[in-house]
Amino acid sequence: MKHAEPHPLHINPKKCVGCVHCLAPCPTKAIRVKNGKAYIISELCIDCGECIRFCPQDAIESHTTSFSDLNAFKYKVAIPATVLYGQFDNATLPSEILFALRRVGFDSVYELSTICELNTAAIETFLNNHPKPRPYIASTCPVVVRLIQRRFPTLCDLLVPFEPPREIAAKILRANLPRILKVAPTDIGIIHITPCAAKMVSINFPVSMEKSYLDGAISIQDIYRPIINALQQSKDDAIMCHLFPETIISGIGLGTALSGGEIKGLKQHRTVAVSGIQDTIRVLNQVELGLLKDVDLLECLVCPDGCVGGPLAVENRFLAKSRILRLASQLGDRSVVDRADISQLYKKDFLSFSHPVKPIRATPLDPNPVRAIQKAKKRSSLVKRLPGKDCGACGAPDCRTLADDIIRGLAILGDCPFMEKEKK
Amino acid sequence: MTEDAAFHEDFTVNGGDFQHAGEASCEVKTLLKELGLDAQVVRRAAIVCYEAEMNVIMYAWEGRLGLSVTPRLIRIVVEDKGPGIKDIKKAMTEGYSTATPEMRELGFGAGMGLSNIKKNTDTFRITSTVGRGTKLEMTIRTSGRRS
Repeated sequence: MKHAEPHPLHINPKKCVGCVHCLAPCPTKAIRVKNGKAYIISELCIDCGECIRFCPQDAIESHTTSFSDLNAFKYKVAIPATVLYGQFDNATLPSEILFALRRVGFDSVYELSTICELNTAAIETFLNNHPKPRPYIASTCPVVVRLIQRRFPTLCDLLVPFEPPREIAAKILRANLPRILKVAPTDIGIIHITPCAAKMVSINFPVSMEKSYLDGAISIQDIYRPIINALQQSKDDAIMCHLFPETIISGIGLGTALSGGEIKGLKQHRTVAVSGIQDTIRVLNQVELGLLKDVDLLECLVCPDGCVGGPLAVENRFLAKSRILRLASQLGDRSVVDRADISQLYKKDFLSFSHPVKPIRATPLDPNPVRAIQKAKKRSSLVKRLPGKDCGACGAPDCRTLADDIIRGLAILGDCPFMEKEKK
Repeated sequence: MTEDAAFHEDFTVNGGDFQHAGEASCEVKTLLKELGLDAQVVRRAAIVCYEAEMNVIMYAWEGRLGLSVTPRLIRIVVEDKGPGIKDIKKAMTEGYSTATPEMRELGFGAGMGLSNIKKNTDTFRITSTVGRGTKLEMTIRTSGRRS
């Protein structure tokens, strides 16, 4: 597992035209263009999916679970992200969407907003029990966890050590469904439905447990049309859902799809919500400098406006956000989760990481400190020679990265078209 | 250690430039990480740079942050042209600050800057001439062991 960690993000060489749009937006400078095609440097990628947003050719694909993969399971369970409720028109109720998912082929569908509410309540207890250190950082966004491991290794201990709601939901189901349904555990497939490009990697390569409780993740983009079809075919379902609303939805938990949603329920604590990858990096930098010690909980979600801005969502995030806010305000701030259940799960350590998140060391310029310093000096002089236009024509996102690649033996000075000119 | 074996980089810091506050320390952090230094050592160096950088931004007219690294030692020198410090001993006291109310409103000027630098360095020397400027010279051992 250590070598060649596979990522869900792939560049389709048939579609990639070798333009440089994806290079600069990548927060870890993990993309290069070589021989006219872009490729991702696996060890640097944190699966944020920013590149997907910027590719004009739609060449960057995120590998998620396909419908045919579901056939491996006799009993199929869906846990949709609450973002899903914002993807359809205003008249479509969450219960109709959940019903539609059953028509699409899931045997049962479980609602996540209650678990999101539970998560926030558990975090509140955790913060009360742990007055130090500060600030704790929410660990719900898998990209934030991966970013911290690689770029802010000293902050690993500040992550709230709870598995995210999707995993908790799957854990509860995995523990109980075989008994309730009288089905063999291996026959049950628990699938998350998500707008996020990083969920697949968090399922295949979890960082705080041995094995994920989820069996896969289907992107909202892939399941959107089947849901629309199911909604159209099932007008009778709609009447059923309207008259017999069987699912309890938490107005508090629903907001987790939006930036600020996770901290909304924390009335006693000082909280800060950040969204977007660049702003997340900026704020985490400040945390590493010790500047946010008066904050109890920092929520960082790398997609703009939170998970509603996920690259695999369909509806534009502003509309989706407005719908979810409307739903949440209709449902109100009434708690639907029993406090006793929360404290029982909390005390049993049911929500906790199985092991702490460990820092991942970046590859230094050279393992030998003397040579690393020599290489850094060489790189500085290279940076001074390069034009500083950061045009991407060499295939690296900017001049500094090209200099770095040259030092690491991955590129040559001649890759820069301006240096070529100088030579002639 | 000969001068030749050290890596040098200079950063310009402008007085009043709150918008770019923290950029030099951020670059220092990246550089030190790439040299393969221990994460906690890198963090201490970044905090020291940030505090020194902020002092220039808050009080001085202009300054220069010089970083040099050898396999054993990180040396940071921050020299500014500015009003200087009248009473260094007092300035070193935790909680003492001459920050204006405006600066405090921005969350700065808690009077922890110099003591924070002292806490995170292995050696720290400060010299200042009133009306001319201040010079901070700091070192951090790369082994992570503090004196």
